[in-house]
Amino acid sequence: MIKRVGTINALWHFAIWLAALFLLAKVGAGNLKLSWGGLFYVDALSALLILTTATVTFAAALFSLSYIAADLAQGKISPAKALWYYLLFNLFAGAMFLVPLINNLGFLWMAIELTTLISSFLVGFYNTKHSVEAAWKYLIICSVGITLALFGAILFTYALQSATGLKSLNWTVLLASAGQLNPNLVKAAFIFILVGYGTKAGLAPLHTWLPDAHSQAISPVSAMLSGVLLKCSLYAILRYGIVVTACCGAPFYSRLMLFFGLFSLAVACIFIITQKDLKRLLAYSSIEHLGLIAVGIGLNSPLALFGALLHLFNHAVSKALMFFGAGRIAQAYGTHDLSKISGVTRALPVTGTALLIGSCALIGFPPGAIFISEFYLVSAAFVGGHYLIGGLLLGWLAVIGGALLYHFGKVLFGKPLTQPVSPAEPIGSWLSYGFLLIFIIGLGIFIPNVLRQSLNAAVGVLRGS
Amino acid sequence: MAWLLLFAILLITTETALVSRFPALLRNFRYQSLCLALLTLLAAEREASPELYVIAGLLFGLKVLLIPHLFDVLIKRIGASEQVGLFLNTQVSLLLAGALGLLAWAFAGALIAAPAYLTQATLGIACYITLTGILLMVTRVKALAQVIGLLLTENGVFLAATIIPGGMPFFVEIALFFDILVSVMIFGLFIYRINAIFTHIDVSKLAGLKG
Repeated sequence: MIKRVGTINALWHFAIWLAALFLLAKVGAGNLKLSWGGLFYVDALSALLILTTATVTFAAALFSLSYIAADLAQGKISPAKALWYYLLFNLFAGAMFLVPLINNLGFLWMAIELTTLISSFLVGFYNTKHSVEAAWKYLIICSVGITLALFGAILFTYALQSATGLKSLNWTVLLASAGQLNPNLVKAAFIFILVGYGTKAGLAPLHTWLPDAHSQAISPVSAMLSGVLLKCSLYAILRYGIVVTACCGAPFYSRLMLFFGLFSLAVACIFIITQKDLKRLLAYSSIEHLGLIAVGIGLNSPLALFGALLHLFNHAVSKALMFFGAGRIAQAYGTHDLSKISGVTRALPVTGTALLIGSCALIGFPPGAIFISEFYLVSAAFVGGHYLIGGLLLGWLAVIGGALLYHFGKVLFGKPLTQPVSPAEPIGSWLSYGFLLIFIIGLGIFIPNVLRQSLNAAVGVLRGS
Repeated sequence: MAWLLLFAILLITTETALVSRFPALLRNFRYQSLCLALLTLLAAEREASPELYVIAGLLFGLKVLLIPHLFDVLIKRIGASEQVGLFLNTQVSLLLAGALGLLAWAFAGALIAAPAYLTQATLGIACYITLTGILLMVTRVKALAQVIGLLLTENGVFLAATIIPGGMPFFVEIALFFDILVSVMIFGLFIYRINAIFTHIDVSKLAGLKG
């Protein structure tokens, strides 16, 4: 029964993935801007986020097949709870798909709030002390953040209303009249937006809920939280950023993004070095990569934006793979304490190999996809004459890379300290690893034309053209 | 009249910094929401807008009646003590609230030009409520107090929405109400869970996850 539900779920998300691919080819590569009835709006940027979401969600649906089966077999969850999981999984995915499709900033806010409310159940899924604590922190901190974002949205509406007499929350309207808005009001409103959505996007110093929630969530969902949910929130910031740039020029927006980006990198660096928990390690690495994307946005040249958007996708697929591997390890070893895990390549050869490739890609070794996008980002910093930023990026990437190499070296190699249970690799993890590795390796070797055109179109959207 | 209600909201908000028991905190939230509903009613009358009447009615039904009632039930069910639990004592809280008030005032003054005094005051007080709500969430240790702090913060946001002539677009506002109701229920559910698993709702003791 559960198996059949899982299979249908996976097939259904495969269909969605195909649709997302089609949408990207049509809208992204064609650089179209479609809107339906003022409520929905799709352009290259949204299409890119939709494809990212669909890719990670489909992979998570595949991985859930074996993960849920193993949890059932170990008696961690009941069959009823497994069905409940699939329901929440789809609601959560649905809310995330809604975010990039919406034109109205009020409903955009709501969709993001909805993702928090639904995923809090997935964070607290196991109902243990730790998971409920993580879910509570997640709910409370993100709710405060999102309330501030609503305050910002109201200030934006007021700015629009007092300048043009229009009463609309549609961001196409907001963008069209950006030139007439009161710059001071817009700047103040954007601070609220940035703090609000930045909390949910995991930008330091507003990230404190993130490692808890991402490490306690059920593993396929950890991948979705880290891989795409953070970016949904970042997407909202980007949409406002376009308006802010059109209204008060690029420097204000750029400096803020650079500050938060570099600060996130610094914080992530410290916590990655001293980390003792496998899933928290990956969560802090997400903060690092979000910081990198924010720096790319802040640099604001076409090259940097191209790199940032490519990185958005690359990080999503790489981090998803890592969380699946970590989930599998946690299931087999019964812990995600780094000091108690070793010899994964011997004990779980398939997961071990996937993790080895994944961690090399995550650190930024060629030919991983992340190498290419990080290369774009760092070159953009130097080409733009931001030598300090470029130097800082290189320095932090080197330190973080070293720390990750150290941690994963201990996890992957050596003799297994404890003999893990259920070493046979189920089909669900084979499929999900394989699917993600196509992107992780493939995009490091060449970027297909469709994606390149879409990325360029999305860069155009970000630059307000 | 609008000035009077704003002043009442200001007083009620300031008083929440001094409160140390749940029933009083809830009562403050109720009164604050009532003032907010009345303000919206005034705006509805002024602009003869049927949509604003609906919103004032919803504010009254949800935030004055339903949500406080749900909290009453919750407090009785889990049998929590009435103390909200203070990280900072009430005097320091009051001082901090005053500082936040000054900040909010300066913020509103900088944004809204001089002749629109009512808008200026509304935005200032809205900002003050929002910040005070957050202050309560940070300095009170019980999970329930944090949720009430969040609701106060939301009241601030709703008050800010009244500076837009005619309010926010109608459907957005309706959806916001729905959202608040759902989130309060989910918060309630998690408070149950915390109480069941930890046998208390003291957030300062939820410290199993670090680093």
